[in-house]
Amino acid sequence: MARDPKHDILFEPIKIGPKTLRNRFYQVPHCIGAGSDRPGFQAAHRSVKAEGGWAGINTEYCSIHPESDDTHRLSARLWDDGDVHNLRAMCDEVHRHGALAGVELWYGGAHSPNMESRATPRGPSQYASEFETMTYCKEMDLNDIKQVQGYYVEAALRARDAGFDIVYVYGAHSYLPLQFLSPFYNKRTDQYGGSLENRARFWLETLDQVRRAVGKDCAIATRFAVDSLYGTSGIEAEVDGVQFAKLADPLVDVWDIDVGDIAEWGEDAGPSRFYLQGHQVPWTKFIKQVVKKPVLGVGRFTDPEKMVEIVTKGYADIIGAARPSIADPFLPKKIEEGRYDDIRVCIGCNVCISRWEIGGPPMICTQNATAGEEFRRGWHPEKFKKKGSQDSVLVIGAGPSGGECSRVLMERGYTVHLYDTAAKIGGHINQLAMLPGLGEWGYHRDYRETQITKLAKKNKECQVALGQKPMTAADALAYGADRIVIATGSSWNTDGTNCLSHDPIPGADASRDDQLTPEQVILGKKKIGKRVVIVNADTYFMAPSIAEKLAAAGHEVTLVTGVHLANYMHFTLEYPNMMRRLHELHVNVLEHEFCSKIEPGRMQAYNIWGDGSKRTYRGPGKPPRDENQSHHWIEFDSLILVTGRHSHDSLHRELHAKSGEWEKNGVKAVYLIGDAEAPRLIADATFSGHRLAREIEEANPQLPLPYKREVAKWGVAHVAGTSAAIEYKV
Amino acid sequence: MATKILVAVKQVIALDEDFEIRADGKDVDADFFLRDLNEWDDFSLEEAVKIKEAGGEVEVVVVTVGPEEADESLRKCLAKGADRAVRIWDESMEGSDSQAIARVLAAAIKHEKPDLVFAGVQSSDHSFASTGIAVAGLLGWPHAAVVNQFDFSLGATQATIRRELEGGVLQMMNIDLPAVLSIQLGINTPRYASLRTIKQAAAKPIETLGLGDLSLNAAEVGEVGSASRVRRMYIPEKGRAQMIEGSLAEQAAKLAAIIKEFKGATV
Ligand SMILES: Cc1cc2nc3c(=O)[nH]c(=O)nc-3n(C[C@H](O)[C@H](O)[C@H](O)COP(=O)(O)O)c2cc1C
Ligand code: SF4
Repeated sequence: MARDPKHDILFEPIKIGPKTLRNRFYQVPHCIGAGSDRPGFQAAHRSVKAEGGWAGINTEYCSIHPESDDTHRLSARLWDDGDVHNLRAMCDEVHRHGALAGVELWYGGAHSPNMESRATPRGPSQYASEFETMTYCKEMDLNDIKQVQGYYVEAALRARDAGFDIVYVYGAHSYLPLQFLSPFYNKRTDQYGGSLENRARFWLETLDQVRRAVGKDCAIATRFAVDSLYGTSGIEAEVDGVQFAKLADPLVDVWDIDVGDIAEWGEDAGPSRFYLQGHQVPWTKFIKQVVKKPVLGVGRFTDPEKMVEIVTKGYADIIGAARPSIADPFLPKKIEEGRYDDIRVCIGCNVCISRWEIGGPPMICTQNATAGEEFRRGWHPEKFKKKGSQDSVLVIGAGPSGGECSRVLMERGYTVHLYDTAAKIGGHINQLAMLPGLGEWGYHRDYRETQITKLAKKNKECQVALGQKPMTAADALAYGADRIVIATGSSWNTDGTNCLSHDPIPGADASRDDQLTPEQVILGKKKIGKRVVIVNADTYFMAPSIAEKLAAAGHEVTLVTGVHLANYMHFTLEYPNMMRRLHELHVNVLEHEFCSKIEPGRMQAYNIWGDGSKRTYRGPGKPPRDENQSHHWIEFDSLILVTGRHSHDSLHRELHAKSGEWEKNGVKAVYLIGDAEAPRLIADATFSGHRLAREIEEANPQLPLPYKREVAKWGVAHVAGTSAAIEYKV
Repeated sequence: MATKILVAVKQVIALDEDFEIRADGKDVDADFFLRDLNEWDDFSLEEAVKIKEAGGEVEVVVVTVGPEEADESLRKCLAKGADRAVRIWDESMEGSDSQAIARVLAAAIKHEKPDLVFAGVQSSDHSFASTGIAVAGLLGWPHAAVVNQFDFSLGATQATIRRELEGGVLQMMNIDLPAVLSIQLGINTPRYASLRTIKQAAAKPIETLGLGDLSLNAAEVGEVGSASRVRRMYIPEKGRAQMIEGSLAEQAAKLAAIIKEFKGATV
């Protein structure tokens, strides 16, 4: 199929300085956990997008000097020739597929804790970072300013040598250039502070110097958060935003604009829970009106209609994307080929971001199980090895892992029968998508449903049987499959079993009318009373989501939480607005409290630290701390148990108990994947199904194959020509 | 003696969004054909297999008129519980309309002598909804169309059925057997085949019959034996659509105004 002519405008090349972008699809800088230290990962992840049709592809933020060291988080670095060598691999691979490679030169100021380098960050004025809170910067004198600008120039030269086509001066997310521009940070009274011209000076001079150094060979980009979203305390789009853009326009070849800061950068990488596609436009649209250079903007753009609107309405010339490019590296190709329903639409969960926030682990994606696995496992997002045998596979459970496993097996040409008791593919996504703000999470199901339906049409031997009766071990054995995959999912505990006590809570019983699991709340079959108590021992979104849903429906909600409520939502950047939401709905959160027992109409809560700070050896049978005497009763009409999950693994265990009958039934193997093996993130459940499908011919596909590791090798120096030996300077 | 149920099935053409009409303008270009068992036939087959599974000696025979490609659909029926599959074909049957197909099926029924014949209400490609009833007419058997409930005990001379009439009206009736019934979607929940039954079905024979076996001649089938001809097949131009809202009376008034306007009258 050809693309819709309506979308032609997205495929028009555009010149940026000395370079030309082949179309309007542009991967803005985003972290993946590769940096300069995992060059294979970096090169493979970025070049797969070049292959998928993106015109410009960037590194993550890239430190220009050890003084800007974000450890424990992982940035790229252009500190020395070793880094040049490693990042050159990315440039070469990206070029091979006809795209431009860009690098985002970064100096963090007080936002970089310098935990590896132990250097002192410098900033326009001295302040404690609102992001790091314990890190202060040194206020720069004029000499410092010259020196740091010199770092930018040296890094830009190294970037050019590595082969980059686009060199950024990064001033979004409140990093150094913006710290000079914004009165929130800049309290100076010299020529670098005060008036807008003075506050802009550092940024303009830096752009000018970088331009003089590499501007003939490279396009100069700047990333600018046009509104800090603090009102008058920071940058406002229509005030300093447009004024700065006018001043800097002659010095840049392309504008990369967004909104927000670093402490709450979920306002930029807006989760779907709170923000729709295109959410930044009301702030960013002003820039294009005052500049002559091409402008690119972001806003989780996945829909070609919306992209065309952005360009034709004159909000931006180029579609910038981070998450849409992670969820579907082939997004531009699919639009170009008119394969709209093959697009794997980003669900806006921000699990990709969570790994950067945690500080270091490789990026993962809920929708795209191959993200981050390109190099180390050799997984291409769109290409699959043909099947290695004629074996037929029965997949029991069509949730995230069973659905993904079936999809990939079908892509590989296997005959797959996918079987579920539910009437729809998607497993528990069908329930999650009904929680407040999570409708777009349903795209995870939709993608698999569409693909599986298409693939089953192509290979008539495949079959999707939904709405079936639960399969017994005998049914599964008699089914006639060579291999059986159990993907039966998990559910919330009905007896209060939790991560704190590892036991049920006395009196917890969700078969009662006045106690519910989250699934029961979502299904809506049990009546829920006015006064609701949620007992929480889960650190992701379920408790706050249930609280939001019920409070919005008029219930009085008390949330008793024995763990840091919604802790993982810090990492997905959903935390700030989730807390604002609970606050505006008057949800009463009792922190550090958990539940010791439940009786009809009341639950006993206790402070988890109520057992005294003194530890004493008192002999066997006697606890080393005092008896907790903080217990008190809280009354409820309905109690919700968000305490923990358990796998539905009984079918798997029964099949293993009958392993003696496998051979006579022609069954070669039985595997367990996803939540049925152990409850986990949707991203990890999806991954586990994907992995099994890729590795099903291996000797023991239940266990993952080793992957290629990129680690420093003893005896080999990072910078060529230097020593890797232990040498004391004595 | 075993009760024999004959289920007449059809391999239909499904189309994707993209397809082209053949150069002669009389059909869709075969390159775009996706073949599958007619959706209604899943239900009529299931109804027959349910009777078999209820106990007693029952044989379910699926019969189709079609070229070798149709074997795939017959095997699907075998995998879902049919005991035998019969495919009737002769080059001269190419281009048969529902009347000509009914003639072939009627001959096959005389050959097989079933106690009961099920057909789908209609086929999802041509949607004539006439084959089943035409078969009954040719045989002179009792018949009922659009059956959505069927009660019958083995050996009985009558069955109780429920039919769907226009406007949501249902009709309960008794029918003398043998009879031809056209079965409606939703009468049951069709089963899926398991990998085991699919493998077993792949090993079962498909019986083939030709003109001679059924004492038919070429003039009774194909285009020459048909009562209708396809003159032209085309994709209709998209018309204007409008949702008419309001109370029944308001809707009627608006509709009348639109019709008048269409006829060129002044309101
Ligand atoms: C995993 C991840 C890491 C990111 N890292 C960076 C970064 O290093 N530098 C940067 O300027 N923006 C970074 N961003 C922000 C994106 O560039 C972008 O502004 C934001 O995600 C909004 O775009 P989107 O809606 O297309 O995702 C990151 C985003 C994601 C999803
Ligand atoms: S992890 Fe979630 S937000 Fe990130 S790219 Fe994947 S689907 Fe989108």
